[in-house]
Amino acid sequence: MRNIINSAEVSQHTIKLQQMGAKVQVINSTLCYVHFNIEGLDLEYVYNINYNGNYFLERIQPYPLAIEEFDTEHDLVKLIQSDVNKFRNAMKSRHVDRFISIAKQINKTFTTFEDTFLNYNIPTEKVDKIYKKILALEFEIDMIREIAKGIELEDPEDN
Amino acid sequence: MELYHVIAAVGIFVAIYMVIISEKINRTTIAVFGASLLLLFKILTQEQALSKIDFNTIGLLIGMMIIVSITRRTGAFEYLAIWAAKAVKGEPWRIIVVFSIFTAVASAMLDNVTTILLIIPITLVITDTLETDPIPFVLPLILSSNIGGTATLIGDPPNIMIGSAAGLGFIDFIKNLTPIIIVIMIVVIFIFRLLFRKSLHITEEKRMKIMQMDEKLAIKDSVLLKKCLVILGLTIGGFVAHQYLGFESATVALIGAAVLMLISKVDPEEVLLEIEWATLFFFVALFILVGGLEEVGVIRILANGMLNITQGKLVLMLVLILWGSALLSSVLDNIPFVATMIPLIKSMGELSGMDITPLWWALALGACLGGNGTLVGASANVVGSGMLAKHGQKLTFMRYLKYGFPIMIVTIVISTVYLLVFYL
Repeated sequence: MRNIINSAEVSQHTIKLQQMGAKVQVINSTLCYVHFNIEGLDLEYVYNINYNGNYFLERIQPYPLAIEEFDTEHDLVKLIQSDVNKFRNAMKSRHVDRFISIAKQINKTFTTFEDTFLNYNIPTEKVDKIYKKILALEFEIDMIREIAKGIELEDPEDN
Repeated sequence: MELYHVIAAVGIFVAIYMVIISEKINRTTIAVFGASLLLLFKILTQEQALSKIDFNTIGLLIGMMIIVSITRRTGAFEYLAIWAAKAVKGEPWRIIVVFSIFTAVASAMLDNVTTILLIIPITLVITDTLETDPIPFVLPLILSSNIGGTATLIGDPPNIMIGSAAGLGFIDFIKNLTPIIIVIMIVVIFIFRLLFRKSLHITEEKRMKIMQMDEKLAIKDSVLLKKCLVILGLTIGGFVAHQYLGFESATVALIGAAVLMLISKVDPEEVLLEIEWATLFFFVALFILVGGLEEVGVIRILANGMLNITQGKLVLMLVLILWGSALLSSVLDNIPFVATMIPLIKSMGELSGMDITPLWWALALGACLGGNGTLVGASANVVGSGMLAKHGQKLTFMRYLKYGFPIMIVTIVISTVYLLVFYL
């Protein structure tokens, strides 16, 4: 019964979106929720297997990140495994908590920026200023990559 | 047949029925379990169990579910609903009337739950646009769906079961039930007017928002729509002529479904995913459970008892079946009830030698219209209230009862008069 009621709710959304001018395509799919606990850190993903056999992967914890679309289940599992390995290694770092809070802050900053941009008339000089600061931040990250020692992780394929 | 077979068959049937009523376990799960117990205790052999399944009912349901699953992808129902709402200039009371009639007619041709699933989403979009309480809109649709479904062979599963078991065709239902259902709909719309009209006030600005809706945007696939309309028309034509052509109604529905799947090019996996397999397995298991009672002779004993109570008088049987079915169907699932009543009525006919055709109409009217009595009386009620709950509006059992039960009583009184005047 729940499925029937949900499908009716989809119809309701579809009608409203169509009246707004959208073309809506409803695709049956399966949503998979994946949870790891790495030394107390919750690492969570969702991916969606759609009608055409494509996979849309997104990390939802410790901070949200749209990852990418895959054609095969092999590529999807490989990426999750690689991601998990990186986090497992990151947990050994003294800076892991700061790293996660910085990543969360970047997400929050983007949301605030979007909200400001879409709801306010922003003067050109302020837009330029934000852009320059972002470029400076990117430059700073690139510099860190230049000087820091790279981490060699096992290729999931080798397992 | 050993005595223990009789005791086991009755015990299993009563226990399973109780669990279905209690809703503690999914109805399909428990019914299939009950049917398997009949095989385990050797009350029925596998061959006997299979022979008890009414494949005409199952085939008709599958065929219509496939046709509806493909047709609903076209957006035709949404198109018609928006067009109708604009045709009555967005006036709330007129929308209720036109949607109620639309629901009743659609329910006569499609399953009630399907109709509710098609009409309520667009109704909720309209009530959102009008910023008004959706319950005075949705409640008449639920009631109209159960009433309209009573009108034809294919409108409601109990009718499909009755038609198949009694050898009554589409035209028999049209001749015997459609006229009284039209009368009932007219009376019920008048009651809706008394109940709801005063509570419907909207501003001109909101009404204009309805007029700005574009029905053409609802059409998702105009080529598919044309194909569906042709096949739906031919299938309904097939139902009208099936008795003359020598086809079972399931054959007509399955041919229509097969042709539509072929010409629509919709992925069959997608279509078959939308078939209500749980409902179909529930039917299969019920046929086997009731078949077990038949096999051990319990149905014959019950039929004898009923003939003794009514002293073999048709008028008493008619009234008893009509009112008994209506009251029980208002609180119980009408499908297991009708599945049990069918062999009982057949057996009464064999024992008494009388023409039992009026009893089939009494059963159809009682079981289908009875569903309007309470919120749990019919699947359409449960689905409709569930959709309202998802929308943040609670249609409580008591609020439904306040409107549904008196309307159900009125429809059964009209049916009683109709049966007594025209069939005795």
